[in-house]
Amino acid sequence: MKRILAIIGGALRVWFRSKHTIFWTLAFPLLLMLLFGAIFSVSEDPRFDFYVQNQDIIDGVPSPLSDTFVSMLNETGVLKLKMVDAAENTAEYIDEKGIEMLLLIPEGFQQSCFTQNASVVLKTVPPEVDTSAATVRGVVEQIAEYFNTVTTGETPPQVVTVQSESLVSENYRFIDFFVPGLIGMTLMTTGIFGAIGWNTRNRELGILKKLATTPLSKLEWIIGVILFEMVMCAISTVVILTVGILVFDLRVLPNIYSIILIAAGAITFPGMGMVIARFVKETDSADAAANAVSFPMMFLSGSFFPLEMMPDFLREIAKVLPLTYVNNGLRASMVYGNASSALYNTAIVLVVGIVFIIIGSLITNWRED
Amino acid sequence: MSKEAVIQVDSLVKKYGDLVAVNGVSFTVNRGEVFSFVGPNGAGKTTTVEILVCLRDLTAGKAKVLGFDVSDRKGQQQIRKRVGVLPQDFNTFDLLTVKENLSYYKKMYDGGMDIDELIRLVDLEDKAKTLYKNLSGGLKKRLAIAIALVNDPEVIFLDEPTTGLDPKARRDVWDLIEGLRQQGKTIFLTTHYMDEAEVLSDRVIIINYGKIIADGTPSELILKHGGKTTLIVEEGGTEAHNVLRKKFPDSKIENNDVLVPINDKSDLPDAVMTLNDTKTKFAELIVRRPNLEDVFLNLTGKKLVDGELS
Repeated sequence: MKRILAIIGGALRVWFRSKHTIFWTLAFPLLLMLLFGAIFSVSEDPRFDFYVQNQDIIDGVPSPLSDTFVSMLNETGVLKLKMVDAAENTAEYIDEKGIEMLLLIPEGFQQSCFTQNASVVLKTVPPEVDTSAATVRGVVEQIAEYFNTVTTGETPPQVVTVQSESLVSENYRFIDFFVPGLIGMTLMTTGIFGAIGWNTRNRELGILKKLATTPLSKLEWIIGVILFEMVMCAISTVVILTVGILVFDLRVLPNIYSIILIAAGAITFPGMGMVIARFVKETDSADAAANAVSFPMMFLSGSFFPLEMMPDFLREIAKVLPLTYVNNGLRASMVYGNASSALYNTAIVLVVGIVFIIIGSLITNWRED
Repeated sequence: MSKEAVIQVDSLVKKYGDLVAVNGVSFTVNRGEVFSFVGPNGAGKTTTVEILVCLRDLTAGKAKVLGFDVSDRKGQQQIRKRVGVLPQDFNTFDLLTVKENLSYYKKMYDGGMDIDELIRLVDLEDKAKTLYKNLSGGLKKRLAIAIALVNDPEVIFLDEPTTGLDPKARRDVWDLIEGLRQQGKTIFLTTHYMDEAEVLSDRVIIINYGKIIADGTPSELILKHGGKTTLIVEEGGTEAHNVLRKKFPDSKIENNDVLVPINDKSDLPDAVMTLNDTKTKFAELIVRRPNLEDVFLNLTGKKLVDGELS
């Protein structure tokens, strides 16, 4: 018994003194629980974000029938309506805001109701991308049915029909929407884990100290590590795309905008890793530190599921995470073919990357204190 | 040997908060010397080296290497180009070969030694394509010293180059350092092995608690602080002690061995003859000359064992 207790005691001591193990045993599952709990929490507001643009304006106000239709949508309690000004260019507004579901009530809607040929246009991403699109489509169709019944007192005839339009021109499938997020996630993990691990391991081996005695400057070291991680990111991206094409018949391919964005992401995440590496002393802690940063970012930046399904406070957090802009930009360029949105996101990612490199070169512990 | 000073240190002080790691150290190292900085762990050896190779800032005092101020930014750039450093506990890339590791570090400099020549110099031709992780401890250390030589430096700093090595590997490193000395390289060596300093050094400084306690050539230090040569009568016991103390009243018994201090040239034959004449039994006679360990013991009152005071 004494020997068994000694084994338990020894193992407990080692466990307690290993930050890495403690993280994986306690903090990591806790972190995941908090993360997923928050993401899938329905207590705050379970409704779907749903944009409505009512262009049927008479004398500066929405026509009574179009207003009734909107009221019916609102009364379902399923949709959280966000009204879009009638004067906005619908396509540009969707691109600019990254909207996934919008209902357009066209000009002349009320007039068309009287001739029983009115229609509303429901623009959504394909249900394969976001399952909530299917739910919302069902709700809108039900409301249209109800509207028909209320306005005519009988069914049929059809007063209003719902025309569904996909926000994506090509016939893409889930894998086509998943791959840009996967590339974004890979850029992040390769960059952050790589930079932190490489720095920490080389510091522990004494290589950093040795290099600090040579003419090599701190900035040259940082740029060297970041460029190396860029090569790793390029290899990962090529592998993902090749497997995607060969195995899953992937239809989205990188264009010039997504290549520029991938390059920007491949600068930003190693830069972020270099900043974190400054505070990591042991190899054991390196993975824990990288996990602590990358896991929340992975789940909060829309890599695997749309930001729309997260509570508002998590969406606010997502706005400050660089991976959000990488994912948005990659989807904009690869899936939606939206160059302006891709460039906007690239610019943000690039600026954040440069800031991280500057901070990293200032705080990296090259010489001894 | 030229007397050109390549390292000049004047009243050097390094503090970490309230702890004074180096306390007013002054010394000069001349070109072509093997200069040893000897002392226990924590004495301030590595801190001094790290200040001289521009890894740490000094707190007070002045230090110049090859005429360049270690506190001056431009001076630091020149020092980095012209010195070679083997940091304490240095390991290099496990998954690069001997040759690849040397090429990696050589690219940090403009010019430097030919890699194949360097591999021959450290006698690693057979291992040129071997991964670092597959080298023995001694060979790893040889490669580490070779890495410190890639830029063909004027001054080489070797911080505890033989710590953790077995006796054979230590001897190999000594031979390597001796070879560098013969090439006229200036070598600044830190060690806590007194025998190493004694064998390799032209000049030795002993440092303890951040202060220099002795400075000179090994023979000067031994002559001045080492004490006397001693005849050891192994397993002589009280019988030998009783016989010898009549002529040598300073003799003493330790662990059944009799220790006889040799004050004069005639003392040694006298003692041997006395033992022979009285047919005193003993196991072996050993003449023990004082060394740097005795110097350290006499100066500090403590022995130095594996870098620790005891």
